[in-house]
Amino acid sequence: MLNLANAARVALGAAIVAAASVLAAGQASAQAAYVPGIWVDPDGCEHWVMDDGWEGYMSPHTNRQGIPVCRRGNTCAVMNSDQLFATDSYRIHAQGQQMLAQFFRSAGATSYIIAGHTDSRASDEYNMRLSINRANSVARVAQGVGARIADVRGYGERIPKASNGTHAGMAVNRRVEIICIR
Amino acid sequence: MNISKIALLAVLGLGLAACDEFGDKKDKTVDRFVDAKDLSQLKAGIWIDPNGCDHWIIDDGIEGYLSARLDPYGKPVCSGAGAPNTAIGPFNKGTSIPDPI
Repeated sequence: MLNLANAARVALGAAIVAAASVLAAGQASAQAAYVPGIWVDPDGCEHWVMDDGWEGYMSPHTNRQGIPVCRRGNTCAVMNSDQLFATDSYRIHAQGQQMLAQFFRSAGATSYIIAGHTDSRASDEYNMRLSINRANSVARVAQGVGARIADVRGYGERIPKASNGTHAGMAVNRRVEIICIR
Repeated sequence: MNISKIALLAVLGLGLAACDEFGDKKDKTVDRFVDAKDLSQLKAGIWIDPNGCDHWIIDDGIEGYLSARLDPYGKPVCSGAGAPNTAIGPFNKGTSIPDPI
């Protein structure tokens, strides 16, 4: 056992010397090449990943606007607002309530993020308010059937999916997105 | 942890250092040595931070990785899948190397 303990001390000493020389090497080269690989998370989104021998590094791959770069999305439903609400209203009619309840009963996710969007008619401020109110209405239906809500947001007219220059485009932009967190 | 485990760890560490640092590991996208693989193979679990928000956590034996879980809008995902300050899922299942620490 004494020999082993001595061996341990020698090995530890050697490791410390090795670590010190690695540190010195790191300081000597100011601009080292660090080309990352890509790891795709279970949601389908990319992360920068590097293995430096001892250490591992990872960070989300986002574009310059902070939007994650993903190979597939986890938006599991886009509800057209016209099918749930009357114009300017955030009250969901009975048929819409049933359809949503059925969806949340069968979707089976751990939790949900609800994001409301509008077209560009009316003011930005009004649309921000309308979209969060509509998203909250959808979230209430979800909670009514026992679904867990991770977050509720209103993005107003700020993230259009289609052109607001046409009626068809505006209809596409009026929507409530449901993101399934699994 | 007893002396022999410390010795093993120190020797293993030295071995890795000799392989990677002294050999100037140029390709940061692969894990070398015993459990060599492309880094895209890593298996993640979820670590829940003190605010209740999710991070991907990977314990790959020697290396550890942590990266934020983001929704399509770039906001943190706070799924409520576990209590804050806990980790869930297969975060240390991606390697055959046992974690000595």
